[in-house]
Amino acid sequence: MSTIRLRSPAAFWLALPAGLWMLLAVVLPVLLIVWVSLWGGTTVSPNNPITFDNYQRFLSNENYLWLIGDTLLQTAMIMTITGVMGYCIAYFLTVKVTSPGWRLALFLAFVIPFWTSTLIRAIAFVPFLGVNGLLNQALMGIGLIERPIQAFLYSRLGISMAQVSLYTLLASGPVVYMLNSIPPALREAAMTLKAPPIIVFWRIVLPLTLPGIIIGQVLVFLNVLADFITVTTVGGNKLAFLGNLILLFYEGSQIRMTAVVSVLLMLLMLAGVAIALRIVDIRKVGS
Amino acid sequence: MHWKTRSRLTSWLLGIVTIGFLLFQWAPMFTMFTLSFAGENGGTTFPMNGVSLHWYHKLWEADLFDDFKPPMLRSFLLALACSATTVVLSVCAAQAMRGRFRGNGLYFYLLLLGLMAPGILVGFGFAILTRLLGIEGAWNTTAYVVHVSWALPFGFLTMLAVFNRFDPRLEEAALTLGANRVTAFRRITWPIILPGIIGTALFGFSLSYDEYARTLFTAGSDGTLPLAVMATLDRQLTPELYAIGTVTTAMSLTVIALCVIGFWLRARALRGRPS
Amino acid sequence: MPEGPAIAQLDLELRHIRKRYGDFVAVNDVSLQVGKGQFVCLLGPSGCGKTTTLRCVAGLEEPDGGDILIGGKEVTGEPPWKRDIAMMFQDFALFPHMTVAKQVGFGLEMLKKPKAQIAARVAEVLKAFEIAHLAERRPSQLSGGQKQRVALARAMITEPRILLLDEPIGALDYSLRETVMLELKALQKRSGISFIWVTHDQNEAFSLGDHVVVMNHAKIEQQGAPDEVLSRPRTAFVAGFIQGNNVFEGKAAAARDGVLEIATVAGPFRVPLLDITAPAPGSVVTFSVRAERLIENPDAAVANRLTLNCVTVEYFGAFRRHVLEGPAGLIVKYDQFGALPQSIREGETVTLGWALDSGVLHRAPGV
Repeated sequence: MSTIRLRSPAAFWLALPAGLWMLLAVVLPVLLIVWVSLWGGTTVSPNNPITFDNYQRFLSNENYLWLIGDTLLQTAMIMTITGVMGYCIAYFLTVKVTSPGWRLALFLAFVIPFWTSTLIRAIAFVPFLGVNGLLNQALMGIGLIERPIQAFLYSRLGISMAQVSLYTLLASGPVVYMLNSIPPALREAAMTLKAPPIIVFWRIVLPLTLPGIIIGQVLVFLNVLADFITVTTVGGNKLAFLGNLILLFYEGSQIRMTAVVSVLLMLLMLAGVAIALRIVDIRKVGS
Repeated sequence: MHWKTRSRLTSWLLGIVTIGFLLFQWAPMFTMFTLSFAGENGGTTFPMNGVSLHWYHKLWEADLFDDFKPPMLRSFLLALACSATTVVLSVCAAQAMRGRFRGNGLYFYLLLLGLMAPGILVGFGFAILTRLLGIEGAWNTTAYVVHVSWALPFGFLTMLAVFNRFDPRLEEAALTLGANRVTAFRRITWPIILPGIIGTALFGFSLSYDEYARTLFTAGSDGTLPLAVMATLDRQLTPELYAIGTVTTAMSLTVIALCVIGFWLRARALRGRPS
Repeated sequence: MPEGPAIAQLDLELRHIRKRYGDFVAVNDVSLQVGKGQFVCLLGPSGCGKTTTLRCVAGLEEPDGGDILIGGKEVTGEPPWKRDIAMMFQDFALFPHMTVAKQVGFGLEMLKKPKAQIAARVAEVLKAFEIAHLAERRPSQLSGGQKQRVALARAMITEPRILLLDEPIGALDYSLRETVMLELKALQKRSGISFIWVTHDQNEAFSLGDHVVVMNHAKIEQQGAPDEVLSRPRTAFVAGFIQGNNVFEGKAAAARDGVLEIATVAGPFRVPLLDITAPAPGSVVTFSVRAERLIENPDAAVANRLTLNCVTVEYFGAFRRHVLEGPAGLIVKYDQFGALPQSIREGETVTLGWALDSGVLHRAPGV
């Protein structure tokens, strides 16, 4: 027994405000987007009720399809990079660092930037990657290059670097959690069974951290797919991905097109999450 | 568990990756900090042309086009409101979950939806909703609603974890000592979950203060600080923006430091003076 | 529905308490009467329902059926804070954010006593439990033994009618347990409060309780005074649960002159019926014989005997235990008390027997 009685009306009433808030602020808007994407007319009162014309118009445009594919490609690339790096960092922090002082310090160093604004961090990439920026200065200082590289900023490379910087924590965090929940006794048992370290990792550690990897990848997937801030800030206006397209249509007052692209984004996200859920049951992870 | 065999090599490799990444993660912000102290004629990149507080002064003085003080204030107030609301709703929702009401599985996913739905979708959808209802978007009404919907999942998860670790026997002991449920919550549960609540409050504050995507669609004509920053960025990149960035980051870091100190002090108080 | 008039002299009365969790039946028709100032021990293996029963008395669980009466008053629907009880939890459940003084006074605060009175009473109680010097400490600074006293003081200060204890000494070091047990027994006698003590440790139960309730699978198998339960176990489970019993199973044959003949794999044995009705011939019955009541190389007058082969001999200091094997894999324990020289070696064959009175017939299952 606790301060709330099981299955009591009190529990229901306590839950109601937050539930209503989410229904109003998230569920309803999303449903409205789907509805708007099917509008026949251009204003509030649709002239022709439900139609898939908008989708047809969008999907028949090659440029748009190419853009979607490009976005998916970028997402896959960032997922891979953050996945690998995130795992290396997670493994290093949880397994290789022995002193708790250092572990805390490194962990804080890793996490603190996330308490600051993502926007500011993205903007900070401009002076970092620019022709006169810190990165070029550093590379020239070491002697790796002779002339500054222009291609860092306002390019796909720059955007990717920024995204990796911003989202690796998302890929790493769940892995840290899963690594921590593996009792050391498991590794030790494997070693007494004559397994060399690489096998211990491949057959014991990696499979047990798989849920963490998947969750991390899903988080990165969701974020990169919808990202538009980093793209405009670090990419200038030279590149556009799915998020930018949505914003573009919106600023052009093309509500129906905005809605169509939004729905497509939603479907891609749902597909990604569905695939991930087939690989790992998220609710089991929490127990 | 930490045996010293061939794993030395992997330690070094992984260590290099980690440290390298950390440097990479901090370098841009470090660049921004440094450049915010650039001289009057300093551009937005190196060389700095002297060291000065010029851009900070510019930030402070109001300008026809570049006054960041009102948006900063709006962001601050909005974040306070969002933080408070998030705490209340999260605690209620998490406590309700302990009661295992019917449909609490679906409820869990409902609350988590806010986490998964990207800002542009939620923002755009909410803008449609307000337009259909004939409501004007504004920072203190529509943006507020959307900000809370963004912070709530985080607060909810935090409070769920806090309640998970909480020992229900403490409440039971209070009940057997004559406290009714409300009193037990007030005298026993609340003081013990307080760190989690403060964490939720801070989480809610910083999530709202830094929020951009959702706010873009719902803030109306008077924007928040991130919106003002992006608007300026669109026009021209000046070191004044670096100054804002530095100030905001310093604020966030101060808040974290205060938090950490607060937790440390509390832990010490709970432990009491050594015997 | 109450079965009869409530008896005010009883501190606690449980009438046909039932509790289930989904498909799992935790408490199945448990009825119990606890007189004034009695020390009752609920004993049984984990999952037997003893803790759930205790929590039902506290009001921390709501039974699906049955009535609970405390001091003659029906409290079945009442929440814990309205019942005249206090509880001691297994891990003490001390409030981490309160000093010792504050927590001990908590119960009195809930009774809305004036501050000055609370302070005085707390000082009194802390002194009585010899923890006055810990008044301003917090739980994290206390040792196990100290925490236990604080938990006790906190519970006792409200002078409840019943104190419920859920495995209260399980979390203590082994060396402390004996001392604490004796202190608690003395405390109970002094205070006149009924104690209901839940444990899986029979040493605790039999040394502390005035009344022992043995539970298994959500039911009460047997209840009574400790020596009664020890010397006359009523079911095979109770006999087996208590250390030092040999349990035999066989088919009932004829009953004559108050003695039942039972056919087992090791031959026929004769057991007195006493107050048990003779079971139908051919039905399965069990009986037990205490391991120390067996007689080596018995003479012809001894009623029951069998020939066994000694498998192991274990020395426990106070007694020597022989484990012997008989026909059809039957295992028998023979305990020899007193510092006698070893008479049976491993591998030897020996005849053991027991007097007629040493056999204890069990009730038929379901009776």
